[in-house]
Amino acid sequence: MSPSDLFGIAAHMHVLLRRKTGRVTDTEWMACNAEYAREIARFARERARVDGHVELLVWAEKLESAIATLAPAPRKPLVQSAAEALRAGQVQPVPGPEDATAQAKYIGRLR
Amino acid sequence: MHWPHFQEKGPFMHQTRVSHLLLPALLGALPLGAWADGGPALALANTLNGADTAWLMVSTALVLLMTLPGIALFYGGMVRQINVINTMASVVGIAAVVSVLWFAVAYSLAFTPGSADLGAFIGGLQRMGFSGLEYLGSAGQVAVSHVAPHVPESVFSMFQLTFAIITCALVVGALVERMHFGALLGFASLWLLLVYAPIAHWVWEPSGWLAKLGALDFAGGAVVHINAGAAALVVAYALGPRTGYGREPFIPFNLGLTMAGTGLLWVGWFGFNAGSALAADGRAGLAMAVTHLAAAAGAMAWMAAEWLARRRASLLGLCSGVVAGLVAITPAAGFVTLRGALVIGLVAGVACYWGATALKRWLRADDSLDVFGVHGVGGLVGALLTGVLADPAISGVQASVAAQLVACVAVLGYSVVMTTVVLWITSRFVSLRVSEEQERTGLDLALHNEQLGH
Repeated sequence: MSPSDLFGIAAHMHVLLRRKTGRVTDTEWMACNAEYAREIARFARERARVDGHVELLVWAEKLESAIATLAPAPRKPLVQSAAEALRAGQVQPVPGPEDATAQAKYIGRLR
Repeated sequence: MHWPHFQEKGPFMHQTRVSHLLLPALLGALPLGAWADGGPALALANTLNGADTAWLMVSTALVLLMTLPGIALFYGGMVRQINVINTMASVVGIAAVVSVLWFAVAYSLAFTPGSADLGAFIGGLQRMGFSGLEYLGSAGQVAVSHVAPHVPESVFSMFQLTFAIITCALVVGALVERMHFGALLGFASLWLLLVYAPIAHWVWEPSGWLAKLGALDFAGGAVVHINAGAAALVVAYALGPRTGYGREPFIPFNLGLTMAGTGLLWVGWFGFNAGSALAADGRAGLAMAVTHLAAAAGAMAWMAAEWLARRRASLLGLCSGVVAGLVAITPAAGFVTLRGALVIGLVAGVACYWGATALKRWLRADDSLDVFGVHGVGGLVGALLTGVLADPAISGVQASVAAQLVACVAVLGYSVVMTTVVLWITSRFVSLRVSEEQERTGLDLALHNEQLGH
């Protein structure tokens, strides 16, 4: 499986989890870290069982098949990872309570 | 639609209805004998009014601007980012399909008198098949409509076309983010022919039954807004709610686009209402002034209502209030004074706020962009208040609340029933709704293979 295919599955899982469960995941990390990806797949399976989202089950299987092709990620010190992410401008601000309120406003209504 | 020069401007050349007028009409395939008295005909070109013609041409451009890009921006800004292109494509597609069908069939059904038996309900076939609209420069003759014999029929029919386009485009607001593009175009085509054209005939063609009844609809409160609002509600019920509606936030893509659309609508409405005077005269001027005032009053009233209810004055609320005021003044624009317009705008602002919030919840339909709440409710408010506030000194016409009520009920009822029929017919040929996966992906990518940049 090519890295772009794996990334596509991770991105799809990210969107599904966000929409179905509200859970925010790290797509890039999911596509390169088998341990994280397995945990996400486990979580997706659990929510599929509890909430009945069949679609999550399908994509959890796809993700698990895909991560089987992943080599274990080399461990990096946390400080080094954070520094690299900052240099690359990849750090996303965590949505605060105000963002959540603004989004909730648009649930079931436009105005 | 008013026709101020109908009586006073002649000569109106019914007697010059010569056979070559019909030659382009499907090479003589149309039933010539079906012509009734008082339909479109040739007139001497020098009897036309240049100022009226110029104003109507400008108004035509203004009303088209309301749809392209006004409605496209207005609606495009309110849907999610993954459906903006589909929403805009829907508006453009409808404009194209309606334009062709207008000159093929719909104009004739709406604005010719029709047969003696059915003329009160539907027009005739005189202008079907892209016929009519002649300009015979060498003979000094030009085709005119009996509804506006002082301007070329080409201009009159184009002006009316822009109303048909925007009415069909308004319905898009109720079906965004989940309807098949092909199904939408099929639905809009049938809806134009089976719903819009007959209702326009009832109200605006002098032989129409509501026109004869004395129902007043200066620029389309019933024909355009009540009609579109009722159809929107039916479509929303028929399609069902969007996947995730009520559970996930549907964040508008860009309310700045919606504001730009509102501005175009506001300016374009001068053509919509003042153009409906069909003349460049004092009545058109008054129509323009009352249109502007009602829009402003609508915005203030919506803002006040929103402030009282939520302690916020939102941009979308202001834009919606503007549209509410514009919708409500539409049937009244050539009949009321400035004070009347102020009342209409204020009442409409509050009523439409209620329509887009409490009434929407009560109706339990995913009328996604509140077409019924704003256009349906605003149209009803305007039509009924026209009966109350119309000043006979302006138009020489005595309004009747009863006639207005009959018109509202008739248009609402017919639109609901026939929209249901049209949807059913469409669904026999093509699936109305996209799959859940396409909906999740977004209609921009799923249907058009296009995507907005970031």
